[in-house]
Amino acid sequence: MREDIVEALKNIVGDDWVVNNPEAVKSYLEDETEPGVKVEPAPATDVVVVKPVNAQEVSEILKLANREGVPVYVRGGGTGLACGCVPSKPGVVISMERMKEIEIDKENLMAVVGAGVTLGELLKAAAKEGFFFPPHPGDEGAQIGGLIACNAVGARAVRTGPMRNYVLGLEVVLPTGEILRLGGRLVKDNTGAGKLMHLFIGTEGILGVITKAVLRLSPQYKATATMVVPFNDRRACLNTVPEILQSGIIPLGIEYVQKKEVELTAKRLGLEWPSKEGEYYLLIMLAEFNEDTLYAQLEEIASICRKNGSLEPLLAETPEEQTNILKIRSEIYPTLKPYMEDSPDITVPPANIGKLIEELEKLERKYDIYIPLFGHAADGNLHPVIPVKEGWTKEQYEKLRMEMYQIAVKLGGVTTGEHGVGEARKKYLKLNLSNEAIETLRKIKKVLETTPSH
Amino acid sequence: MTDNEFHIVVLIKPVPDMEKVRFDVEKGVVDRSSAPLEINPFDLNALEAAVQIKEKLGGEVTAVSMAPPAAESVLRDAIARGADRAVLLTDRRFAGADTLATSYALASAIRKLGRFNLIICGEKTVDGDTGQVGPEVAEMLGIPHIAYVTEIREVTKEKLLVVSELGAPYLMELKLPGLITVTKDVNKPRLPTLKDKLKARKAKVEVWSADDLADVADVSRFGFSGSPTQVVKVLVPPMKKRRSQIFKGEDAVDKLIEALEMEGLLR
Repeated sequence: MREDIVEALKNIVGDDWVVNNPEAVKSYLEDETEPGVKVEPAPATDVVVVKPVNAQEVSEILKLANREGVPVYVRGGGTGLACGCVPSKPGVVISMERMKEIEIDKENLMAVVGAGVTLGELLKAAAKEGFFFPPHPGDEGAQIGGLIACNAVGARAVRTGPMRNYVLGLEVVLPTGEILRLGGRLVKDNTGAGKLMHLFIGTEGILGVITKAVLRLSPQYKATATMVVPFNDRRACLNTVPEILQSGIIPLGIEYVQKKEVELTAKRLGLEWPSKEGEYYLLIMLAEFNEDTLYAQLEEIASICRKNGSLEPLLAETPEEQTNILKIRSEIYPTLKPYMEDSPDITVPPANIGKLIEELEKLERKYDIYIPLFGHAADGNLHPVIPVKEGWTKEQYEKLRMEMYQIAVKLGGVTTGEHGVGEARKKYLKLNLSNEAIETLRKIKKVLETTPSH
Repeated sequence: MTDNEFHIVVLIKPVPDMEKVRFDVEKGVVDRSSAPLEINPFDLNALEAAVQIKEKLGGEVTAVSMAPPAAESVLRDAIARGADRAVLLTDRRFAGADTLATSYALASAIRKLGRFNLIICGEKTVDGDTGQVGPEVAEMLGIPHIAYVTEIREVTKEKLLVVSELGAPYLMELKLPGLITVTKDVNKPRLPTLKDKLKARKAKVEVWSADDLADVADVSRFGFSGSPTQVVKVLVPPMKKRRSQIFKGEDAVDKLIEALEMEGLLR
C-alpha cells in the first residue's frame, strides 16, 4: 500500500489505529465463507487496515479513498459467508471494532449501539437491564453494523423477523463522506428519513458505512422453553412446521436438525444431544409472559406434532439446558466446515419446504452423495451442505450447487435468504433478479457515489 | 411402597440462577429476588443418578428440600425429572439455618419418611459452595457416606461400588444404607419429556412445617436458633477493569517487562 495513503490515514485516526504490518493485516483478509466459493484476497502487503472511532473519522477516510481512487472494504466481526468484507483488490479495510458505544434506553425499550458492538456484547448488556434481543445468526462475534448491513436473521426470527425489523435509527456515512442521521428513538417515523434508512439495511454496505444504530429491544420473557421434537420420518417432520404456524401459534423460532449432525456437533462441544429417539428433530423455541400461556402453547404444538407421527417431545426450561441446545444448533455449521465445499442458503416459500426436501433427496440419489441438512424450518430457509467428495472436480461441485439454486428458484424461492450475495455469490444474483432490477441497484449506487456540487 | 422396595432420597436445594443473580454489595447479601429459582445444578446429577438406579433396581425416589414456599416449583421440576414424591420443609423456624441446622432438619425429615436405602446429594450448592450438608446428614443418621463420587460402577440393594475423586480417584465400596454426594462427572442429566413436565405441574408437593417434625426432632435445633455459625456479610470482589497500555520505541520490551514485574506477573 502506498506510503502516502498510510500516512494520510494515520493523520485521520492516529498512529496506533492504522495497521500495515503484513502479518497483522492477514487476520483482516478473510471471513467465514465456504472454501468452494471463497474469493482470494489481495496480498497482505497491498492492504492497509484502519480503525476509526466515530462517523467523522469514517467520513474523512472515505473522502481520502475517493480522492485517491482506492477501494474500501468495511469489516465487522468477519463472520460473513459471502466474502462481503474481503479485500479482493488492493485497498483499505475499515475495521469497525473500536465503535463500542452501548446505551440501553430502559424507558423506550431501545438500545443505541456503535457499529462495532458484537451481538454477544449487546445480548449481555440487554440482559443486564432485563431486556432481550431476538435475532441470532449463530455467531455472537458478529457486529451490529454488519448485522444491519446484511439484514441478518438466524434462529429466532419466526415471530419478529430479520434484523430490519429492529432498526429504528441509523447513522450512515455516504461513499462521498456526508454523514446521515436517519430515524431515531421512534417506533413510528413516516418522514422521508425513516424510509431512506431502509435503503441501507440489507444492501451489504455498498451504499454507505453504518456507524451507529438505534435498535428496538424486547422485554425479557418470564417463561421460556425449547422443545425438542423427534421424528422418524423426515417429511412428516418438516410438513408439521406450516401446520404449527397455521394453528395460530407463532414461536420465537422453529429449527430443523438431524441426528447425524447434532450428535457430531455435541461431541465436538463436549455436550450430549438430549434426545435418544428419532432421526429428525424440530427445535421449537417459545417465549411467553407466563408459564400457563407457555404450557398451553406447548400442549397445542405437541398435539400437532403427534398427529404427524412425532415421538414424545423433550422440554428444556432451565437457561443452561436451553443454551446448550441453541449452542449445538449454532455450532453445526462450524463443525461441518472442514468437510464442506459449500452450503447454499436456499430459501423457498415456507409451505414449500416439504417439496424442497423431496428435490434435495433426488439430488442425493443422482449424485450418490449424502447432503447434511439443517436450517430455519419455519422460514423456508435450509442450509444443505455440499460435502467434500473425493475425486470431484470444481465443475462437479458447481453443477450440484447450480441445481440446488435452480430448485429453490423453481419453487418460488431465492439463492440466499440470509447469508447475502457479497463478492462470493455475485454471479448467482441473475438467478433471482432481472437485468432491469440489477441495473436499478447500480443506478442507486451511482447516485450515492456522485460527489454533490457545492 | 412395600418394605423390600429400594428407596432413594435425593436432597435438593433451590438456588438462584448464578448467571443472573445480583449481589447487594452494601448490605452484603445475595438478592434472591433478582433471579428465578432452579434446581442446584449438582442436584440434577444426584437426581439423574437416583433415577438410573431406580430404573435398575425398581423402587421409589423421594426429593426432599428445605426452602421458602416459592421452591415448590423447583420440587415439581424434580418430579418431572423422575422423582416419585417430593417433600418441602418450609417454615419460618427453618430460616437462618447454617449447614449444621440445615443438615439436622433434612436428617429429621428423612427419619420421618421412615425406611431408606440410599441418600444422594450434589457435591455442593452453587450459592453456598460448602459441600458440608451431605456428609453432615449422613453423620446425623449414623450411616456411612462417600463424597465427590464421579462414577457409580455397580449397584445392588446391599452395596455400591463407586469412584470418589478426592485429589486422586479412589475405588470405594459403600454398604447400604448410606449416602453419596456426586459431582458433575457422574452422569449427564436427561431432559424431561413434555408429558412428564405436564404431569408434574399437577403433582402434589408435600409441605412439612417444623411442628410436623416434632416427633422425630428437637425443634429448637432448627433454623437460626440451631445454628452455631452465621453469615455476617457477603463480600463481592470488585470487578477489575481490563487495562490497556501501548509500549513503543526502542525500550518498549524493557518497559513491558518492567510493567509485568510490577504487577507480579513476571519474576
